Amino acid sequence: MSPSIEIQLIAAITAAACAIPGVFLVLRKMALISDAISHSILPGIVIGFMITQDLASPWLILLAAVSGIITVVLVELIQKTGLVKEDTAIGLVFPALFSVGVLLIAQNANDVHLDVDAVLLGELAFAPFDRLIVGGIDVGPKSLWTITAILSFTIILLIAFYKELKVSTFDIGLSSALGFSPVIMHYGLMSVASVTTVAAFDAVGAILVVALIITPAAAAYLLTTDLKKMLALSVLFGTSSAIGGYWFARAIDASIAGSITTVLGLLFLIIYLFAPSKGLIAVLLKQSSQRIEVSLLTFLLHLNNHDSLEERSVAHLQEHINWQRVKAKSVLDLALKNNMIVIDNKVVSLTQKGLDFTEKAIEYIITNKDEKIEDMKDDFFLFRG
Amino acid sequence: MDITQYFTDYTLRTITLGTAVLGAICGMLGSFAVLRKQSLLGDAISHAALPGIAVAFLLTGAKDSNILLIGALVSGLIGTWWIRGIVTKTHLKTDTALGLILSLFFGFGMLLLTYIQKQPNANQAGLDKYLFGQAATLVESDVILMSTVTGISLLVMLLFWKEFKLLLFDKNYAMTLGFNTKFIDGLISFFIVLAIVIGLQTVGVVLMSAMLLAPAAAARQWTNSLSVMVILAAIFGMFSGVIGTAISASQNNLSTGPVIVLVAAVFVIISFVFSPGRGILFKQLRLLKNRRELELQKTLYFMYSIVRKHDDISRPHAIRILNNFQGFTKGTLSQLEQKDWIVIQGTNWSMTPRGFDTAANLYNSNLPEQ
Repeated sequence: MSPSIEIQLIAAITAAACAIPGVFLVLRKMALISDAISHSILPGIVIGFMITQDLASPWLILLAAVSGIITVVLVELIQKTGLVKEDTAIGLVFPALFSVGVLLIAQNANDVHLDVDAVLLGELAFAPFDRLIVGGIDVGPKSLWTITAILSFTIILLIAFYKELKVSTFDIGLSSALGFSPVIMHYGLMSVASVTTVAAFDAVGAILVVALIITPAAAAYLLTTDLKKMLALSVLFGTSSAIGGYWFARAIDASIAGSITTVLGLLFLIIYLFAPSKGLIAVLLKQSSQRIEVSLLTFLLHLNNHDSLEERSVAHLQEHINWQRVKAKSVLDLALKNNMIVIDNKVVSLTQKGLDFTEKAIEYIITNKDEKIEDMKDDFFLFRG
Repeated sequence: MDITQYFTDYTLRTITLGTAVLGAICGMLGSFAVLRKQSLLGDAISHAALPGIAVAFLLTGAKDSNILLIGALVSGLIGTWWIRGIVTKTHLKTDTALGLILSLFFGFGMLLLTYIQKQPNANQAGLDKYLFGQAATLVESDVILMSTVTGISLLVMLLFWKEFKLLLFDKNYAMTLGFNTKFIDGLISFFIVLAIVIGLQTVGVVLMSAMLLAPAAAARQWTNSLSVMVILAAIFGMFSGVIGTAISASQNNLSTGPVIVLVAAVFVIISFVFSPGRGILFKQLRLLKNRRELELQKTLYFMYSIVRKHDDISRPHAIRILNNFQGFTKGTLSQLEQKDWIVIQGTNWSMTPRGFDTAANLYNSNLPEQ
């Protein structure tokens, strides 16, 4: 295999391994724990490196993962004292641990292999140079094997405990009633996240691993609410950005990790803007159409309440409901288009259809029952567009 | 290192002053971040500021720290604005939004930084000081800038004190009173971003959030009053800066930023353990005291239940008959005697009228008065 393909493979597999726990972290509102873990594994890595002298050693990964879990435990301990809120607890723990790591590195500045830049960025470009040699035969880069092992392990766990994970993510009460301990699920997930973070750390660095964990899941969450689809989509987003990022980095000759994140960022931006029904544009459109619907309803109710010609004259309406001219006109047009009103000699009156509609709306407002609005939903759709 | 160095060594004096001022402003504004439950916003913003620094450098080619800081400010504000957009317009939660902005902006910033490093421009070196901060690069003009910003934010804080306080604790009430909550909210956020940005050069992107949080979290433990908390947090922040600088100057290979953060963490630990009202230590002590008190009352009530059966309440009983009851020890007996509730004579005890009354009203004393 050429180094280029090896790098792409490592990046893609890392992205997939990060995306799977990421989905659950995002759904459980614990996305920032990944940020905390990715920072606070640093002292674990430094100490592990001092002992093993090998950045890809499994012992180092284990040690670092343990320090990730210690972070989670520490955050929970602080939170349990009730002295500060959870987010403050996270924000206190990881910078302190990270500082310890940075100082440890600075104290051992002679170990050139581990410097602070590598911690932040990782060095994907050098990954193919560290080969795994079994019985004298070169079987490929070490980190490729490590991350593949972690990905397979994650997938096996995911398949084995899919049901339990799903239940404990969406309904903690139900899951404990069914006998799956939410605590075990929580720590299991945290352990997987820690191990993945450490392995990915080698490839993309301490902070960018957060991007690989959160972004694909967040983007997928904007597109679907089905857990299986969300998992598949986030793996797809992660791997495709990893490969896209590699080529982008080659084109402009910059950090691979940085450009993978940038590609992920662009992907998220596009989905954030254009996702059907949950993207920014869709939400804004929905909000403005709802606003017009409410205005229309107000307008019809106003007509219903007033019988005198004076109150219903077009010129008077504008000042009475206190609308701007443009808004008043667009509501008036909308009502006309839907045959809710007729304008006769500058006096507005409700049609039979408008009358029926208004009565239904009043009934809904008074009783506030959902059945009333059920068939209204179809009516409301008429006004859109 | 000795104390005279602070007056003779220009660099040390500048750095100490700089970190002290930085600690003070961060503590002050951090209090608001912590109380608004936006502790991690600082982390996200400080990371989000990185691409701004890189873009400012790419556009101007200058390494003037003021221009770079303006870039950082702009991109920090864009980050804050986008976080708010994600939270209000989509169903993604705050933690996801923070993590997204943090990592995506930072990644983009790193991309730009590595891109800049490959450019044939001699000026580029030193941009990475914004990653971990280098207090050693602080010069007098930086300290003046920091002090000016601190002065302005202090002024604004005093001017809008009432509004800030109201918004912190009861946003809806502030709205009904007719305050422009959006404006006040934006104002607080703006100053938090500003504090983060001016701290980047000193402690760096990664550790900036701790500067903001730690002094405020420590101060919170000592008081329930906002003004006291803000002042205390500023003092804690200042001392973290000064002590951290002194420790890192006393030894080689100790970067200032991480040391300051660790000093601040020590402040937090001390506050968590030793603060009289909320601290873990005093909470435990109170718990123990209450438990003992209960035990004493249990013993007294048991005695009362024996005494009640007799006409003469001061009739002596053998201590032995208390044996099947677990709550008593020699200590509790002598304590009961000290309180003048019982009298001990040899192996007998007898209840005093006072003890009888206390025991009779034991479970009524906590009832609300009728």
